Amino acid sequence: MDNLTFAGMDGIIILSVFAIVMLVIGYFSGKGDTNLHHSLSGYYLAGRNLGFIALFFTLYATQYSGNTIVGYAPTGYRTGFSWLQSISFMTIIIGIYLLFAPRLYVVSKRRNFVTPTDWLEFRFKSKAVTLLSIFLMLWGLGNYLLEQLVAIGQAVAGMTGGTIPYEIAVVVFVLVMLAYEWMGGMKAVAFTDVMQGIVLMIGIFVFLAGALYLVGGNFAEVTRFIADNEPAKLGVPEMEVSVNWFSMLVLVGLGASIYPHAVQRIYSAQSEKTLKKSFARMAWMPPITTGLVFVVGIIGIMLFPGLDTAGSEQLVGLMANKIAAINGFYYWMMIIFFGGIVAAIISTADSVLLSFSSMLSNDVYGKFVNPGATEHKKVMVGKIGGIIAIFFLLMIAWNPPGTLYQIFVLKFELLVQVFPAFVLGLYWKRLAAKPVFWGMLIGAIVAGLLTLTGHKTVFGIHGGVIGLTINFVVCIIGSMLVTVSAEKSLKKDELAVLELEA
Amino acid sequence: MKTKSVKEPIRKKWIWIVLFINVVLIVPWYFPKGAVEPFVFGFPLWAFISTFFTLIMGAYLSWLCISQWNIVEEEEENAKRKEDVKHG
Repeated sequence: MDNLTFAGMDGIIILSVFAIVMLVIGYFSGKGDTNLHHSLSGYYLAGRNLGFIALFFTLYATQYSGNTIVGYAPTGYRTGFSWLQSISFMTIIIGIYLLFAPRLYVVSKRRNFVTPTDWLEFRFKSKAVTLLSIFLMLWGLGNYLLEQLVAIGQAVAGMTGGTIPYEIAVVVFVLVMLAYEWMGGMKAVAFTDVMQGIVLMIGIFVFLAGALYLVGGNFAEVTRFIADNEPAKLGVPEMEVSVNWFSMLVLVGLGASIYPHAVQRIYSAQSEKTLKKSFARMAWMPPITTGLVFVVGIIGIMLFPGLDTAGSEQLVGLMANKIAAINGFYYWMMIIFFGGIVAAIISTADSVLLSFSSMLSNDVYGKFVNPGATEHKKVMVGKIGGIIAIFFLLMIAWNPPGTLYQIFVLKFELLVQVFPAFVLGLYWKRLAAKPVFWGMLIGAIVAGLLTLTGHKTVFGIHGGVIGLTINFVVCIIGSMLVTVSAEKSLKKDELAVLELEA
Repeated sequence: MKTKSVKEPIRKKWIWIVLFINVVLIVPWYFPKGAVEPFVFGFPLWAFISTFFTLIMGAYLSWLCISQWNIVEEEEENAKRKEDVKHG
């Protein structure tokens, strides 16, 4: 998106408006709530009181980032119809939620969990498991945050035709984000997500409309073009692609559902009713989000044939230029759309940052450094720690890595290793701390090594999935050999909570 | 708590069997390699069928959330109603 020439000053105006709206929302969500900064659950979980609209949009805006458009359209362009997998792997996440969210919600309310680590600590009572999972989750979150920071700069610089340079764009929007998050915590994050989510949804629809207009409104024409020129992008995929598709379903489904910020949205729900209603709506979002982006990528094959990998990464910008040239309406819609992409990236980044801060304050500081500190102090440590982390990541962001999609897979590989402990622990009482620790560690090492040695996939299966399989095996066989079960390590009342007995 | 009205998806095997079958039908492993024709609404047949089952999965999961998940809802809604009466 480096050569986006359609918006200079106009882009700056729209971006400024968006930034101001976010700050205003942040200000009002923190105003008058004196409890907010003195309680961990007040600041990090919006007082466990998110209603349907805020919860739905914060789930939506967190799950779908600006990368969903900027990164997925080019992938669709390059891989063709097999990128339909992006709809299915975003949908399966809801299925994985159904595996654990119903019970985790109840347990979290009864035991007042703030972070995912609280659950693991409650269940396993093991410093080793707690520390390792904190490390893996912070690593994953840090990587994810870094990716968002890189993307913000690219989007803004592209949108303003370089009028706002990359570095300044990142710094300005990070400051806006830090400011509203400081003022309102999760409440501010969720309420800004409503605005950011709506802009993103509208943007995708208009973008698709414009793209269809450019190809004469006929999608069949596009597929005919592809059939004549690049039939490989249209045919039934090779077996290895299908295996990879299965692997993506496992990796994204399991990984995205136990993202710390995703788990904290389960904790934040006002009620079971709100939570399940939000998930029920979320199940419909992939077709109208990644699905439409997929169509955009496919249309791109006809509009800009023959782009190489680097060239195709610019696809969304190239198309936006053409769409903006249609007429005045599309011109302004494209500017708003690009503002929407920036907003969407920030809406993901703010959730990740908040989760990161909460783990610094509740887990690292609150469990290991100074357990006796007041909640106010813990919140403060998290806020400041988050800011330090951001600036550390910014230094890395000045040197952005290759294509976006590769980093996306990287963060899942390690994070997903927490899954067996997290979900199996809910239902299987024999699951013991030691095997969980070794499973997690070996799984993470295998996944990390495979990726680092350039074997991101083996026969189409992701390193993270291979690590996870080993992790599961170690957990299960190890727990069957060890005699310590939850019946012994958990107190009677704790066991009752786990079994949903009131 | 262990009354009949409690519904938890994990306890129902059929939910996961159906979901598994659905996933297996989404991934196009069962089509002959490279086949393109015929086209349905501009989609090659395999892509059309895959998309169809993806949409089915979305509908199925959405329905499951609403109808097969009920653990503390009544308890919470009753508590909320009492609260509302107190303040209202």
